[in-house]
Amino acid sequence: MKQRIHAFLFAALAVVALTGALARPASADALSDIKARGVLNVGVKADVLAFGFLNPKTNQYEGYEIDIAHELAKRLLGDPNKIKFTTVTAKTRSGLLDSGEIDMVIATFTITEQRKLVLDFSPPYFTDGIALLVQKNSGIKGLADLNNKTIGVAKGADTATRLTNKAAELGNVLLNFSAFETYGEIAAALQAGRVQAFSTDGSILKYYEQQDPSTVILPDRYSNEDYGVATKKGNDSLRDWVTAQINQLRSSETLKRWQQRWAIFNENQFK
Amino acid sequence: MTLGAWQSLFADWRSFAVGLEHTLVAAALALLFATILGVFFGLLGVAPVPAARTINRIYVEAIRNTPLLLQAFFFYYGLPRVHIVLPVLAVGVVSLSIYTGAFVAEVVRGGIQSVARGQLEAAYSQGFSFVQAMRYVVLPQALRVIIPPYTNQCVNLVKNTQILSLIAGADLVYQADTWSSENLLYGVAYMTVAVLYLAITLPLAAISRWLERRIGGPIEAGADA
Repeated sequence: MKQRIHAFLFAALAVVALTGALARPASADALSDIKARGVLNVGVKADVLAFGFLNPKTNQYEGYEIDIAHELAKRLLGDPNKIKFTTVTAKTRSGLLDSGEIDMVIATFTITEQRKLVLDFSPPYFTDGIALLVQKNSGIKGLADLNNKTIGVAKGADTATRLTNKAAELGNVLLNFSAFETYGEIAAALQAGRVQAFSTDGSILKYYEQQDPSTVILPDRYSNEDYGVATKKGNDSLRDWVTAQINQLRSSETLKRWQQRWAIFNENQFK
Repeated sequence: MTLGAWQSLFADWRSFAVGLEHTLVAAALALLFATILGVFFGLLGVAPVPAARTINRIYVEAIRNTPLLLQAFFFYYGLPRVHIVLPVLAVGVVSLSIYTGAFVAEVVRGGIQSVARGQLEAAYSQGFSFVQAMRYVVLPQALRVIIPPYTNQCVNLVKNTQILSLIAGADLVYQADTWSSENLLYGVAYMTVAVLYLAITLPLAAISRWLERRIGGPIEAGADA
């Protein structure tokens, strides 16, 4: 019996020691860690056309955010392809960042005050607005028509909060929300009539509007969503470096050029 | 995992209470229906009529060999295409009942078949019908064998209610997800949910052990030879 207890204690100690060794603390210098590793780990979307999209034909990631990621790899490691992409969703992106699995998230990640408490963000590299995708024949023209109806949103996104605030301004508009794991499931819920609108950033909705010709994106935008490059809190050297790069790309109008290339440019974000 | 995180969680305890309520309601109803389905189809599996046994096989194999999530998606996304729109909680109860029912049916069939065949024959020789022989002779003995694996299925069912979170069913997992999506405090939310699941499943296991003791231990070998 005593031996068994000793064996158990030893096993427990081993586990603690191992997890301690594996769970690297936020390094004092994340930037040189990446240089030493020689590869930049970036979390990106796989299902947002023109931003982060895993092209099923080529099995390559492509889009505006992918261009930014490659540029960062080029500037940091001297080779745009010294990069490893990991597909993230609104729900998984902050967890993967926390665990150290990825160095940064460039995945239509909106900068909010609450998120800034737990993550660091670069200045915005794109500004988008929340929009609504509805069935063409539903007669829904805007948020006011969705009183007492259900809106499908993505888990981990801030869409519901933003729309609720907007509805409060309209007064007497009561919105219900259903949150799903993936955008595809929200699109399916819209088709099945489980939700009366699919809401997220307009840039993301574009793909689903193309997929289902019976749907349409309504013209109104209900918020300004500033997308930033997110890094783990405590990795100050990395955050400062990314911030400097984004600022430079922005002032040199490189970002603008790339947005025009992906046909996602909108004037009001550079005012 | 700071004190502040726990404070924000307790400030929003209502979100978690709503989740607990939906999980409990779904689990309780599905447990009831899964048991009814399981006993019915389990009996079909040992019925003297071959057609009944075939129906048992079709149900059990079709349901236990396909993922629960796909079955739930069928009721949630599929049925509305033929204009049957079940409320989301009903989708959870129906899919969990049908899914768990298949496993319970196997538990019941196995339990009945563990009772020596001589028992059934003796009952027949006394003029009992199939239903009577089951009711008075076989099932009371089978119950001892059935309870432990049946408890397993009950506990699995409680945990499987989390499929509701994938169809916006406002269960515990869904509420924890949506709550933490705003503040990114996933750690405390999931830990709380784990404790709440334990609070449901541990009493279930305790009830099962109590029942086992009440009904008596395993069937003694050779007692009914």
